[in-house]
This record gives sequence, C-alpha cells and structure tokens, in this order.
Amino acid sequence: MSKLLLPIFAVAGALAAQQVVAPTPDTVGSPRGDGWGDYNVTQSFETGYRFHLVGGDIGEYRSDANYGNGLRLLGSSFAMNSKDGHGKWFDQITLNTSGLGNDPYQSAILHVEKNGLYRYDMSWRLSDYFNPGLTVAGGEHLADTSRRLQDHDLTLLPQSHVRFHLGYSRNIEDGPALSTAQEFNLNGSAYPIFTNVRRQWNEYRMGAEAHFAGFQFTVERRWDFFKDDTPAAADGIQAAGTPTDLTVLQQFTRSQPVHGSNPGWLGNLHTRRKRWGLNARLTYVNGKNDFALDESALGVDQFGSPASRQIVVGGDAGRQNLAGDLSVSYFPTDRLTFVNNTSISNNRIDGDSTYSEFLTGTNLGTTIYFRYLGIRTITNSTDVNYRVADWIGFYLGYHYADRRVETVEGFTLPAFANSTENNFYEVGNQLQSGLAGMRLRPWKAFTVNFDYEIGRTNNPLTTISDKNFQTLGGRAQYRVRKVQLSAGYRESYDFNSSFSLFSSHSRGYSAGASWAPRDWFSLDASYDKQHLDSSSFLAFFAGTSRSTLQANYRSVYISNIHAANLGVRFAIRRRADLYLGYSITKDTGDGRATAVPAGTTDPTQALLDSVQTFPLTYQSPLARLSVRISPKVRWNAGYQYYGYGETFGLLGYYQNFHAHTGYTSFLWSF
Amino acid sequence: MVRAAIAAALLLPFPLVVAPAQGQPPPASPPSAYVGSNACKTCHADVWLNFYRNPHFKSVASGKEPSERTGCEGCHGPGQAHVAARGGKASIPRAFSLLSPKQALEACLTCHESNFDKANIQRSEHTQHDVACTGCHSIHHASTPQRLLAKKQSELCYSCHAGIRGQFEMPSKHRVNEGFMQCSDCHNPHGSFAATWGMGQRSHMVEQALDNESPCLKCHVDKRGPFVYEHPSVAVEGCQMCHNPHGSMNAKLLKRPVVFTLCLECHDAGGSGTRNLGVDLQSARHNLLDPKFQKCTTCHVRIHGSNADQYFLR
Repeated sequence: MSKLLLPIFAVAGALAAQQVVAPTPDTVGSPRGDGWGDYNVTQSFETGYRFHLVGGDIGEYRSDANYGNGLRLLGSSFAMNSKDGHGKWFDQITLNTSGLGNDPYQSAILHVEKNGLYRYDMSWRLSDYFNPGLTVAGGEHLADTSRRLQDHDLTLLPQSHVRFHLGYSRNIEDGPALSTAQEFNLNGSAYPIFTNVRRQWNEYRMGAEAHFAGFQFTVERRWDFFKDDTPAAADGIQAAGTPTDLTVLQQFTRSQPVHGSNPGWLGNLHTRRKRWGLNARLTYVNGKNDFALDESALGVDQFGSPASRQIVVGGDAGRQNLAGDLSVSYFPTDRLTFVNNTSISNNRIDGDSTYSEFLTGTNLGTTIYFRYLGIRTITNSTDVNYRVADWIGFYLGYHYADRRVETVEGFTLPAFANSTENNFYEVGNQLQSGLAGMRLRPWKAFTVNFDYEIGRTNNPLTTISDKNFQTLGGRAQYRVRKVQLSAGYRESYDFNSSFSLFSSHSRGYSAGASWAPRDWFSLDASYDKQHLDSSSFLAFFAGTSRSTLQANYRSVYISNIHAANLGVRFAIRRRADLYLGYSITKDTGDGRATAVPAGTTDPTQALLDSVQTFPLTYQSPLARLSVRISPKVRWNAGYQYYGYGETFGLLGYYQNFHAHTGYTSFLWSF
Repeated sequence: MVRAAIAAALLLPFPLVVAPAQGQPPPASPPSAYVGSNACKTCHADVWLNFYRNPHFKSVASGKEPSERTGCEGCHGPGQAHVAARGGKASIPRAFSLLSPKQALEACLTCHESNFDKANIQRSEHTQHDVACTGCHSIHHASTPQRLLAKKQSELCYSCHAGIRGQFEMPSKHRVNEGFMQCSDCHNPHGSFAATWGMGQRSHMVEQALDNESPCLKCHVDKRGPFVYEHPSVAVEGCQMCHNPHGSMNAKLLKRPVVFTLCLECHDAGGSGTRNLGVDLQSARHNLLDPKFQKCTTCHVRIHGSNADQYFLR
C-alpha cells in the first residue's frame, strides 16, 4: 500500500472543472460598478450565437451534451447594493442567469434582501432531457422531456430572535416519450406505446425559528401535492412478427392518473455551549396517493385469433414516516470532541389495489391486493475527535445499526370464498462498523489525511448490499499561493457471501496540479483512475431448446476508467484571454480484444461474456478566445468538440458520435 | 524536522503530550479593547470600500450589535493591540490564516450556529477531516454572489474530490458542470442527519429532503410514491443500489451497461432463501437467451414502484 501511495503523493490535485465552452468566465468592466443614488450597481450580459454539427448517433449526442443552434443570453449578472445598508425597499438585489433563450440547461437565481426585515431567494431551472433508452428497452423507452424547477424562500425578520419562513417549490416534467405494453400473453413481446408525460409537483412550506437562552428551535410544516396525468396510446400497429408469436397490437389506450400528497412536520432543537452541544430533530410525514388505471387493448393473440383486453385498477397507497435524531456533543477540552448520535426511522408503506380484467370476452374477475412494507432502523454512532497538537489529530468511531424490514403480500378473490392469502416476510439485519482516521499538517501548506473503516452485517437484504466491507482512503494536499498539488487514493471492498458469493472491489487514484506562476498564465491538470471489479454467482433460466435452471455461471463486471483533464490559460497583454482545455474519459474495460473471447461456444457463456465490460472513450477538447474591445465590452468565440466511441457494440448497435459545437458572443458591462 | 519525520512515519505511536496550541482564541477582552471599524478602514480602505456588498455588512448597518458581533472586530477580535502594534498579523486576535481549523470553525459558529443547516457540523466528515469554514469560503474575495464561496461551487468541491469530478465528466451524468445543478442540491457540506435508507450510516453529507428521504426524490418526484407495490431496494437500500448518482459510463446512470445483470444479481433464481426475505426470484418462464428477456425493464416498466401490478408491468 505504501509503495502505491508514495509515488501518487509525490505527483499531486486541485483544479478547475472541465468547463462547457460558454458562457465565458472572463469579466469586463469596473468591479466597483456605478452609483445609482444610494445604491451601487454592477451588471453584465453575454449574448451570442451557439452552433452545433453532429455526425453519428444524434440520440446519444442529445443524451450526453444536447447543445443546439440559436441566439442565447448565455449569461448575465446584476447586483444592486445599498451603500449604507438602509435602502427604502431593499438593500441588495442579485440576479444571475445562465443559458436563457433555449439552451438545454437554463437557470436564473434571484436574491432580494432588506436588512433585518426580509430575505427572498428564488431559483428557476430548466433541463431538456433526452434519452434513447437503448439500455433499458432497446430504444422503446425513448424520452424527450423537459423538467422545470423553481424554489422560492422568504424569510421574515432574518436577523431577529424569532424568524418566519415561507416557501414554495414547483417541479414540472412534460414532453413526449415512449413506453411499452405487454398484451394478450404473459410470455409475449412488449410493444411500444406513446406517452405524453405530464407530471407536476407543488410544495408549500411555512415555519419559524426561535432563539432563546442559547437554544434554537425550528418548526416547519409542509404540504405537497403530486399528480401524474400521463396518458398512453398506441404508437401505430405493432406486431411481434415471429413464426411462433403472431401477436398484433392494433389499438391501445391507457389512462393512469395518480394524485397524491406527502404533508409533513419537522421540529428541531439545537444548541452549542462551551463544553457540550445538543441537536434533536423529529420529522413526520403522512403521505397518500390515489390512483386509477383504465387500459384497453385490441388486436390478435399469439396464435392469430382476435384478442381484446381491458384492465381496470383502482386504489390508494399511504405512507407514514416518523424519524427522530438526537445528537449530543461533548468537548471536555479544546482538543477533544465526543459526538454521539442516535437516530430512529420508522417507515410504514401500505396500499390496496383492486384489479379487474377482461381478456377476449372472458371475465377473469376481480382481485383485491394488499401490500405492506415496513422499515424500522435504529442507529447509534459514537465519534471521537482528538487533536494531539495543531499538526496532528486522530478520530475514531463506532457505528451500530439495527434494521427490520417487514413485508406483507396479501390478496383476496371476492368471487371465491376462503380465497384470502397473506404472506409475511421479515428480515432483521445488524451492522457494526469501526472507523479510524488521522490528520497530519507537518507544514502549514501541507496536509495529509488517512481513514479506514471496517464493517460487518449479519443479514443483508440483497446480495449486493454491504456485508463484510472495508474502505481505506488517504489524501495529501500541498497548497501555497501559486501552486496547489494533491493526490488521493480510496478503495472499497465488499464481500457478501449471503447467497451468491458476491464480491466487489473498487479502487480510485487521483492526482492533480494547479499552477499560476504569472498573472498571464495558469495551468490545471488532473488524472483520475477508477477501477471496479465485481463478481457474483448467478442462477437463472436459459437454454437453447428448453429453458432450464442454470446455476454454474458468474456475473462478472470489470471497469477501468481513466479520466484526465488539462486546462491552460494565457492572457495576452491584458487585451485577450486564450483558454485551451482537454478532457478525456476512457474505460479500457478488462483489456480484451473482442466482447466475446474467441473460442467461446456456449451461447449462455457468450451472452454473459458480452456484458462483462463496456470499453468506450468520451473526450472533449475546447478552445476559447476572449478579446477586450473596450473597457466595457468583450468579444468571445469558442469551439468545443465532443467525441463518443464504443469499442464493442454492446447493445447490438454502436451509439458513436462526434460533434462540433461553438459560439461567438459579446459580453457587455454597464 | 521532527514533525516531518513523525509525519513520514505516519502510524508510529504518537506523543500524547499535549503541546500548547498555536493561535488560541484570545481571552475575553474588555470593551475598551475594541476600536471600531472606522479605525480599521484607515489602513484597510480596499477591504472597507466594497464591504457594503458583503452579507456581513448588515451587522454594521443595523447599528444595534455589540462590538464583538459587528464590523471587522466581530470576526477578527478587538483591534486595539493591532493598532498599537501598527499592524502585523500576529497582533490580530483572530487572523484566520493563522487559526487552526477548529478555531476558525468556532469563530464562525459564534454567529452561524443558529442556522438549522449547520446543526450537524460537529459530526460532519468535513469537520473530522479538518476542513474549516475558510477552506471553502472567502469572506473578502468571494467568487460567487451567494454564500461567499472562494470558487464556483463545483470547482471548490472538485479541488478535494477529484474522483467525483471524473464521474461528472462521464457521458451519463447529472448536469453539474453545465450549471443546471450544484453539489449542494444533494449534499450538505456542513453535515446532515443520519440517512433513512441503507443501514442509516452513509453518507453523513447527503442533504435529505424535508420529509426525510433520499435527495434524489427532490427532483424525481414520480419515484417517491407511496406505491402499493414498492420496489424494496429503492425504499430500503436507496437509489444507489442500481445507479451511480454522480455519473456513469452507462446510460441512465446505471451501474451496469445492460439491465439484466443488474437485476439478476439480486433476483437470483437460485432461490438460496432470498424469497424468504421477500425478494422475488427470476421467473422460470424467462429464457435469458431470448433477447426479449434480456432487457427486463421493457416489460417491467414501473421498476421504481407500481400501483397496478405486483411485477411492475404497468
């Protein structure tokens, strides 16, 4: 281990993120702004034109980058500050926007404040989402939706001992998408259907904070309302088209409204004294969803006979979630801290659903289902943090958790007496983990951290949950005015022998450097490697002639991802800035030349081999030039290339693309 | 040199002798030790000139705060000794560049302890790792209009979490670099309450929604439920059972490039007792060599939870 760490620490990383090419980060104009009466105002606007040219799979391009053509308000900022802090209606307004005017990612953030009286924060965001859905449904779950988020928070009397909060949030998702429906035959194919996504969520919040005798008490009440009114309809006539399956879906409609709410309470009491601190919280949520489904399908069944199906479902589901936390901190000396935290969470979800079906004129009757999922978790953690001296410190922790998961699966057939069945399943799991860490600061500019955690659980719910696990990490950082160097290592191993001998090993190495020797030159570079290998014995049904249980195969997944960044900035005589950047993310897989190794004749093994690794390369060089035309105007131009290349056509289809994108803009400051 | 030698040895037994701390907070000063911000701006005019834009200016504007909670001395401590010494960092009671991380934290908490979002700062992993307020915030040279961050938020976080940065540059990722999201949409860098998913232990830094859920559900509200037929892995273990939340080389942030391996690793038809734990097994009707059974979610469309079908078919 130490052999591995030393060369990494000798290299070193901290740097700017690989950027999207626009908006331009450079500024123009006087940072002191202009005087407007008793206020000072600074503002800037960057407006310009984006372009893109894509070759290859445009669906994957839209999924990964999605920038288009057109005029944009690429970025803007506005700040207005009262010079004496005694403005009539407000003392500060800031407004920052990004991507307005049809960029796929847009945002606006507004802050208005009047000292001592109110503070208002608003954020609005839009994301255009596109996913070809190849991975999950071979393209039959394509989504082309947009999501708009907005949050409003108003605090009254923000500097007083009693404050009031009002808030509102909204989340809207809409747009066209594809889904699938499986009709007439449980073993048959699923057929694409068109859905018009219409989801909306609104939340209202009201609360108060009170400060007395060194205690802070917070109470918050919230109400939220969710509705999903996404209808589905046939996406043309769909046929299975195989000799053994003659199914044709000719007509299809589905209405599936869900309306619900999750109102909740939160209360918190916390204090910090010279030698101790306390933090207690209680939350309660009582959620409910009401739903109905009406589905109608018409077509031909797998044997070529006319078929019809109607399904009607109705019911409701509810959830009661109660969670409490109590954290006690104790500081016996200035160098020693004890923190003990106890948390309890009780989540009870239940619901009933009345399901009725007519299949080609035959009434299959009504079934009433009942489901219950209860999750009760109690955790306790004790952490000790000891600073031996200013340059060295340690921390230790012991964490314990006890979780009980209960499931009830029941149904009733009202048409038949004594047809009720209830099955009850229960899983109890205890976790114990210990952790230790050390901090070193041998010199002011140099810090080193190590941490280690080992944990054991006795009965995890699933094969891939943490069971016998350990993590080990370390990081070193050297930071002075002109140079930052850092390096890190983290590994996480888990061995879960519960059912299928699942094991997972991940190791990450990172190093970076940031160097700014002159005002006119800076350089950032970083490298990160992430290794993952996991293995699990599988049992599944498969066969070339007849499907039989296969229990001697393993699921193996190997990923070796290398991510590197380089950014260089030059300033030319205070007149122009040139930025050159390059980022590459490359999964080399396990080094194999073909997805299925040569000589593999077993079709089942060939199928598993083909998904064990997914090598691909995603890279994006960029260049941006920003020229100061006048003290208040800059002209900018930039180019960014995106290249995506899969080594194997894992999905039976290569999604490779290359895209040339760029922009030109003017940045004004007034 | 001794420190360097011991640091290099790393895990050697450490001396338990507690050396006097450097830069200890000054003892309580008499009110007369405060000189007022007007004295400071005589020499530090560049700082004072723009200070009215700083959120901390409101303590000056109110005119009601006591000397130890307002202006320059509210953070830096009484300035009389500094004035008498005619400058110099050593004479500033709280020169933040000289304070230990714990001392810097204590200084800021003097006022900011009352904020609910900092209620868990003592058990925060940042505190455990000596990441003090000044590691991320720059009071006099902030780069962001809000929260006085020293850099744009993502750049600030990446400067330590380089591995996470690599994930946000993968083809499938949450749009942080594009400016649509910020790290603090999901994380609370000041520490958070115990998670209500998983075994309640990880992570300490994930900001939960007000009703105590995974932060994923703040945006992906259609996955919240409650559903009649919950997919227990979502509610019990959390979204990260199937997804890499920051970024992935696979579509939809999935942990595997195709879904059937992801599903089968839990829904193992071997039936080694998993059904007794309430986990459904792969159906005997599904021949994995038939391509239509290799993309499980083609039929199991409501994989996050359904109200109409126990197998998530609608």
